[in-house]
Amino acid sequence: MASHQLITSRRDFLKRTGTGFGMLALAGMSKSAQSAPVPHFAPKAKRVVHLFMNGGPSQVDTFDPKPMLTQWHGKPLPVKNFRTERHTGHAMGSPYKFKRYGQSGLPVSEIFAKTAAAAADDLCVIRSMQAEVPNHEPSLMLMNCGDGQLPRPSFGSWVNYGLGTENANLPGFVVMCPGGYPIVATRNWRSAFLPGAYQGTHLDTKHTDVTKLIANIRNSRLKADQQRRLLDLTQALNAKHLKERAADPALEARIQSFELAFRMQSEAADVFEIKNEPKHVLDSYGSGTHGRQLLMTRRLLERGVRFVQVWSGNGQPWDNHNGLAGTHRKLAGEWDQPLAAFLTDLRQRGLLESTLVLWGGEFGRTPVAEYPALNGRDHNHYGFTCWLAGGGTRGGYAHGATDEFGFRAVKDVVHVHDLHATMLHLLGLDHEKLTYRHAGRDFRLTDVHGHVVKELVG
Amino acid sequence: MKLPLIITAAFLAGGLWAAEKIDLAKRREHWAFQPVTRPALPAVKAKAWPKNGLDHFILARLEKAGVQPAPAASARDLQRRIHYALTGLPPSGKIENPESLITKLLATPQYGERWARHWLDVVRYADSNGLDENAAHANAWRYRDYVVAAFNTDKAYDQFLIEQIAGDRMEAKDEARRRELFIATGYLSLGPKVLAEPDKVKMEMDIIDEQIDTLGKSLLGLTLGCARCHDHKFDPIPTADYYALAGIFKSTKTMESLKTIAKWHENPVATPAEKQLRAKHDALVAAQKKVISAFTDKANAQLLVSLKVEKLPATPEEKYPKPTKDELTKLRAALKQIEANPPLLPSAMGVIDGNATELPIFVRGDHNTPAKDKQPRRFPQVLSDGKPLAGDASGRLALAKWIADKKNPLTARVMVNRVWRWHFGRGLVATTDNFGLQGEKPSHPELLDWLAGWFMDNGWSLKKLNTLILSSATYQMSTTASPSAMKADPNNVLLSRAPLRRLEAEPLRDSLLELAGMLDKKIGGYVWTFENYKLVFNHTSEDATTYESNRRALYLPVIRNHVYDLFELFDFPDPGTVNGSRADSTIAPQALYLMNSPLVLRATEAMAKDVLKEKKLTNAQRAEQLYAKIYNRPPTATESKRAVAFINEFAQDRQASWQALAQALVSSNEFLYLK
Repeated sequence: MASHQLITSRRDFLKRTGTGFGMLALAGMSKSAQSAPVPHFAPKAKRVVHLFMNGGPSQVDTFDPKPMLTQWHGKPLPVKNFRTERHTGHAMGSPYKFKRYGQSGLPVSEIFAKTAAAAADDLCVIRSMQAEVPNHEPSLMLMNCGDGQLPRPSFGSWVNYGLGTENANLPGFVVMCPGGYPIVATRNWRSAFLPGAYQGTHLDTKHTDVTKLIANIRNSRLKADQQRRLLDLTQALNAKHLKERAADPALEARIQSFELAFRMQSEAADVFEIKNEPKHVLDSYGSGTHGRQLLMTRRLLERGVRFVQVWSGNGQPWDNHNGLAGTHRKLAGEWDQPLAAFLTDLRQRGLLESTLVLWGGEFGRTPVAEYPALNGRDHNHYGFTCWLAGGGTRGGYAHGATDEFGFRAVKDVVHVHDLHATMLHLLGLDHEKLTYRHAGRDFRLTDVHGHVVKELVG
Repeated sequence: MKLPLIITAAFLAGGLWAAEKIDLAKRREHWAFQPVTRPALPAVKAKAWPKNGLDHFILARLEKAGVQPAPAASARDLQRRIHYALTGLPPSGKIENPESLITKLLATPQYGERWARHWLDVVRYADSNGLDENAAHANAWRYRDYVVAAFNTDKAYDQFLIEQIAGDRMEAKDEARRRELFIATGYLSLGPKVLAEPDKVKMEMDIIDEQIDTLGKSLLGLTLGCARCHDHKFDPIPTADYYALAGIFKSTKTMESLKTIAKWHENPVATPAEKQLRAKHDALVAAQKKVISAFTDKANAQLLVSLKVEKLPATPEEKYPKPTKDELTKLRAALKQIEANPPLLPSAMGVIDGNATELPIFVRGDHNTPAKDKQPRRFPQVLSDGKPLAGDASGRLALAKWIADKKNPLTARVMVNRVWRWHFGRGLVATTDNFGLQGEKPSHPELLDWLAGWFMDNGWSLKKLNTLILSSATYQMSTTASPSAMKADPNNVLLSRAPLRRLEAEPLRDSLLELAGMLDKKIGGYVWTFENYKLVFNHTSEDATTYESNRRALYLPVIRNHVYDLFELFDFPDPGTVNGSRADSTIAPQALYLMNSPLVLRATEAMAKDVLKEKKLTNAQRAEQLYAKIYNRPPTATESKRAVAFINEFAQDRQASWQALAQALVSSNEFLYLK
């Protein structure tokens, strides 16, 4: 293939898929072009929202009720405790009451009562999740990047690589975390060996001002038309530079990146400017950080952003080794109303059926109390709960089960790899075919693992 | 009933895994574990093309593939490329011939700064610990200065690495050398640590693991850390080898205290002058205290007389006459002044030997499940005779010498490959930090060996190696790809042309300041004062760092988990882990940075002011000045016309117009990329 043909085909490819800059990136251009951002089969979901309860929410206090645990409260479990990170002791019944909601009668803890009342029949609760180790860092990496140790691209990067973006004016993968970074920071949304265009763009959502949300989004000196003229001059210089040499994807990508940046200035300002939303909408999401995050999320989804990840906060808020009863209630309380509003809003706008929502942490928590305080729970990767909603999932359904105390997944176990495989499946992507050649071999999100869990598909 | 079944399965799996022994003899056949060969220069048809030995290897491969090497780069492009390669700064002045330019630039202190930064990527340098307890490495800069000096004095690489692993164990002819050697061992201490880890044994083992991981990747291109929990899945590193090595670091003192929040060890590095200053200070304090006590003794004696008593009152000073009281206050104030800001006795992050000890294998990496037998300290069997180390020292010095030995098949290969990567954007082995079975195979195996041999034969001199590469015909090709090269060598693996390189974060920033006439080229030291061990930035505290300095980017603080936004945007590596090959991304936020960031606006404003300084110039002359400054070339006639038209139309405010022109130039690919 001659060089001009290479370029022509790349441009054609961009036009055909309408992905613009999102697909144009430095590394492995021709390879990524071959694996083409077209789903492998008809998708049910087109975009993903990952609500990350970082630190690890307790399954037995949220979506996996365990009456037996309450019965054994204060006594050693009749079975041996599994080894987790720290020393644990007797059984600790949930401090919260559970109730059944919706037509499905899905049982949900009182701390998520509003979410359950608004959307129980949309929730596809997986009670038999499993990860690999009881430590945050590797578990975050496993949940986000499909491998606990090695530097692999994040889920959001893979989805953008697989499907491209629908809006050339915004990044295809947006990450919101109020107050800074969760632990292991940007590694959670890295693109690793995938082209850099697919990495997450992080926003510190503690800020409400768009100029603080996105660095350098406004020029303090120039009017828009002046900036356009300046950019036109830059691009004229770039055109000359490009003409003097064989076309180079790096240079083309750079040229495109300036156009995207220019458009982002107006589009981003608009998308994050939530104060113009109608009052009843603002009221329903509430005035808290999560309400603001979720409202911005909805606006990003409406504008075709492929993957939005929303974190509970910096550090690891749900990591309640002690004082769990109060802290879990507080954390859930901050999410409950906005979450109810968000799911209702998506449903009403007809977005929910094509938007795959994932709620969960990097693992769950032990049903037994942790020494010495004995009022909190340790990390638990043997069994925990995540839920999906929308995007073609089976609503009002609880999948799999942990043992009678909620310690370990025993029925229809869903490993994190299986969750990834299933979510990719809902997006129309075969997890075994979504590959990228790097360092001499084809890599995939699920490595050599993963099975699509058909029961989760509606 | 299910549980026992699963336990059985897990037991069986564990048993099978353990039974699968690594066949060392077979695994030694891996290319990187073979001795470095001394290949002859391959024959080439275009005999006039090669400028030195390395060109033969490149050209032979190109000829075999039927590809012509690209023509030589223009003198201007080459000038710019060499300037950035050796100093990280833009060229100025007239075009020189490459040979004398290389010699000249290698002798500038900016060379050491540029190359120190490469090495700092490899050794995960940072000015803070990162992780949960992001404590300040207030003395890390001493190690950075040591690295700058090592490159500027062209310290032999074998010597350089021995000092970093075991400087504290080496003979020092004088105190200055002792300090230098202490500082060098900062290499082992710079890693991120979980300083609040409640399990102290785990904390220690994690720190050792980080040291082994860094040592393996940075110097040997081996992922030794993988063998902590199980025999390495891919490389011939059994768990026993890992714990044999871990014993060396367990016998080394890295930490001062493991008590929460734990503190790393620092070695004393005060100069005689600093010690003298401190002694002088201490003497001054003591003298003043003596004066005060003599004064109060005297005043007390007078008090007894004036009060006509035999015993002093409980608080005699209150009874002093006013002039005496005033005098005493004055004397105490003077003491306070002397005591304030005592000259500190400097220390540096680093290690010393602890108690020599041996470790057992911790089954599955868990220290709660130690195996019965201890592993004698020794080197990995695949690369050594596996004999236990003798003597009561930690074994670090022996380890360092073993790595630096010319017979070690990895050390020279890994380093020449790193240098190659820093010049060409990709190593001959693309995975610069992994030469194991999972790493990439070398694109030019004979060249890699030839370079490794050449490097060792030439005294492990990095200046010589840089000269060899930069004066090669390969390096001096243009970046233009012919259609046939695009076809036969689309990814430029064969090096049918020079790679197009984007300015990295630091050269980009430094260039903007340099062109604005703002760059402060002071060498060494630090720009950031922070109390040692104090938390600099964590998830709850506010950011206490500032990047306002006009010193070179090398000196800006590197805060783990919170890297300077410009660095982060332009692919600065994760400072928590070894990285010999930075990413090269092209993302919209980089464009936003160039369009709107305060730094770019500040720099271009200064450029505009500068170009307007001379009152009598025409706009065309000013445009020429700006082009010369930013592009190192005059504008073409069309460009000049366009620039003048732009200035005339852009804004009423002339400075704003010139600033916009400067910004257009520094945002353009001609500036951002090295042709």
